[in-house]
Amino acid sequence: MKLRRRKYIEKQAKQHTLQESNVPSDNKSLSDQLTDNKEELKKLYANCSDVVFRSFFLNGKEDALLVYIDGLTQVEEIDDNVLAPLMKKTYAEQGSVRELLKKKVAVASVTEVETYTNCVSEISVGNPVVILEGSSTGFSLGLAKPETRAISEPSSESVVRGPREGFVESLHVNRALLRRKIRSPQLKMETIEIGTYTKTTVIISYVSGLADETLIKEVRNRVARVEIDGVLDSGVLEEFIEDYPYSPFPQVLTTERPDVAAGSLLEGRVVILVDGTPFVMIAPVSLYSFLQASEDYYMRFIMSTLIRWLRYAFLVISLLLPSFYVAVITFHQEMVPTALLISMAASREQLPFPALIEALIMEVTFEALREAGIRLPKQIGAAVSIVGALVIGESAVTAGIVSAPMVIVVALTGIASFTIPRYSQAIALRMLRFPMIILAGTLGILGIMLGIIAIVIHLSTLRSFGVPYLSPMAPMKSGEMKDTLARAPWWKLNARPHFTGAYNEHRQSASQKPNPGKGEE
Amino acid sequence: MALQLRKMLQKGMSIAVLVPLLSMTFLLTGCWDRTELNDLAIVTAVAIDKAEGSGITLTLQFANPSQMGGQQGSEGGGGSGKKPTITKQAEGETIFEAMSFIQQQLSRNIFWGHNQALIIGKEVAKEGVQPYVDFFAHHPDPRLRSYVYVSEGKAAEVLRLLPQLEPSSGDIARELAKLKTGMSVTIKELLQMLNSDAGSAALPKVLPIFEENEKGGLQITGTAVFKNEKMIGSIDEEVTRGVLWLRDEIHLAAVKLSPDNTEGFISFNLIRSHTKLVPKIENGIWEMQVNIVAEDDIVENQTNLQLTDPQIIQQLEELLGEKVEERIYMALNDVQQELKTDILGFADAFHRKYPAEWDAVEDDWEEKFLEVKVTINSKVYIKRLGMSVAPQGVPKEEVKRTE
Repeated sequence: MKLRRRKYIEKQAKQHTLQESNVPSDNKSLSDQLTDNKEELKKLYANCSDVVFRSFFLNGKEDALLVYIDGLTQVEEIDDNVLAPLMKKTYAEQGSVRELLKKKVAVASVTEVETYTNCVSEISVGNPVVILEGSSTGFSLGLAKPETRAISEPSSESVVRGPREGFVESLHVNRALLRRKIRSPQLKMETIEIGTYTKTTVIISYVSGLADETLIKEVRNRVARVEIDGVLDSGVLEEFIEDYPYSPFPQVLTTERPDVAAGSLLEGRVVILVDGTPFVMIAPVSLYSFLQASEDYYMRFIMSTLIRWLRYAFLVISLLLPSFYVAVITFHQEMVPTALLISMAASREQLPFPALIEALIMEVTFEALREAGIRLPKQIGAAVSIVGALVIGESAVTAGIVSAPMVIVVALTGIASFTIPRYSQAIALRMLRFPMIILAGTLGILGIMLGIIAIVIHLSTLRSFGVPYLSPMAPMKSGEMKDTLARAPWWKLNARPHFTGAYNEHRQSASQKPNPGKGEE
Repeated sequence: MALQLRKMLQKGMSIAVLVPLLSMTFLLTGCWDRTELNDLAIVTAVAIDKAEGSGITLTLQFANPSQMGGQQGSEGGGGSGKKPTITKQAEGETIFEAMSFIQQQLSRNIFWGHNQALIIGKEVAKEGVQPYVDFFAHHPDPRLRSYVYVSEGKAAEVLRLLPQLEPSSGDIARELAKLKTGMSVTIKELLQMLNSDAGSAALPKVLPIFEENEKGGLQITGTAVFKNEKMIGSIDEEVTRGVLWLRDEIHLAAVKLSPDNTEGFISFNLIRSHTKLVPKIENGIWEMQVNIVAEDDIVENQTNLQLTDPQIIQQLEELLGEKVEERIYMALNDVQQELKTDILGFADAFHRKYPAEWDAVEDDWEEKFLEVKVTINSKVYIKRLGMSVAPQGVPKEEVKRTE
């Protein structure tokens, strides 16, 4: 047994060190023979039809090589600003190659590459690389083509009032969007490359002086230890850097909105941007972060406070309503007002299933409908929801398969879960609803209490990057209640939220409550 | 067990495997006390009558949900001829015995949790209610907030009645009790009355009035007076209202007055009242001062009195006070002198204020109660004159006012 396990571990370890097979793993330097370089690069890019090798004569006589990937590079720019000036015969003076490039190539960013690894990574990004005969230094020109879609309103987080721009798939646009929100040089962006094959750029962004140093270090460590073949979305990375990977609750907040990311940065959080996805990650967060929408801070504070209370109420409903209903009608019939009980009894008179089974059938059907609605094309999605609503809401009741109160309960639960602004949190609660229903159907309200206790215990052990998940409620931070229980007016939110360690306490000067004079009398 | 668990964990079995395994134990419980809603026979009212031989006849009224509420009910409605409530009867020495006989006739579990009313037959009431109310205090299912009535005839008749407005006669009984036109007593209050110092109780009497076939309504016809858990007599509705004034339970009171030198009446509607019993023992004379403060609205004026006149209002207030006192004295006469039963709460009032003296008379309270001298001080305020202040349809010169 032991032996087998050890073998297994060894096997795992072998597989664990991922390597691209044909890339020179050591930092092999470029040769000063152009033909060698060309051969080596061609070997690396064998069978890559999109890689272009363009040989040309520098100054009419010296051999030179230009390598780029078609589609990733601005070919017109290469033509006008690189090939044309370099190939012209007009200059005669000799100088170093470096000087030559300085004088003749009108490109903003030129970097020297000395190893094949660097060379390949520059080419992969889209930067054309020029290698000259007799020089072991190549030049990478910053002429990558920014392929990006237009900035549009984020579909997963729409607002009535607030900025309408959303992150897009390309990292440099996202980075710029953040920089536009926070112009201070204190906004730092550290780059890490993850993915042996995808070579995805990941940016850890924070405001230096606001974010706690230990937090930044922790994020850096957690991201840097990820070793994977590819990162296609921030969701992949998220599972690697969570505190409690088995928890149903998300411990990292994802957003498509630059204003949410910027707001979090100003609160001293760390934002992680991943190339290729509009979803950026924010950490650390607490349970309450998932119940706040960006609009809370743009609407009038009374309204925001009421809406927060509404969300808290509907959070409870989305988790407990079906289980409470099942518990009451199978175990605690005396709790219901008589008239209500009789009308519920009337609707259940001819039903074939016990309440527990009925609730499970309906909830599963609801989840299936929701899933079908998301995956299908938009036009068909609407049809599905109509059919679903008609079939389940109307026909199933008429046919006597489910009762009308159960349909109301399921529908209300569905609506309740949609009031939670963050999808990842809503889905966690939706999932927990099922064990709760089973508990309620087997043990009644006692079972519900057991379930609640288990969930609360779990929530209080959870941490997001070291910050307790239930903070500022547990541990209690009375100063932060005004942005948790309520949403205090902006001129009251003087203190910055506090997660760990030392922090920059004041976010604005106190006593800014507007107090205009009543005019001359 | 714990050791094994730890071993399993060490062998690499993760929590993710253990949780589903452990959660399977929930299936072992088998939901043993689960009852589906459509397996319940919901009791809406209970009636206890004297059986022909020994023991009692228990009648239970069940809600018939398919005829009572919800969509299905309105569809079948009157056409199908099904009744919204059904009644079942059985005899037994105890309530539980009779109930188990009823259970044998039913396909569903008898569920007491929504019992609205307990109707006690007159004959049972006369023999004593104590053996039967115990079930309602003892058994965990029936609720103590059900209202208790004594029926004029057979209690089962009340349950057989199909009401016109409410879904069941049990519901009417509850709604009548809530209106508080007469006594309104829950099982809990009945138990408290029976255990009080006076040991007497008062329960509203109810009479079913059948109008067509089984349809009809219920009427409260007064109050049954109990002494030591046995019904010894009854008082009519008017006297009951006097008792309610004394017990500080009056909520609805329509009083009419005909002041001197005028024709017609003025009607008053009681807004609120407060009665305070102040016991006094002076020179061995037991006295009870009843202080009543009440507020009334004028809702009707048939006379030619100008109501905006403060002096007229003052006169009316005095007259109203007298009227209330008159009613209370009438009730006192019936209860104290004829029925000789303290259902007014005097015993508790004396006990609280004069515990030592009380101890001395505790055993002969029945005689002592007859000697208690009662004085009534009432103060009635007329708060609002109503929407029209001048008498309607009376020529201006005939409107009467004090000069």
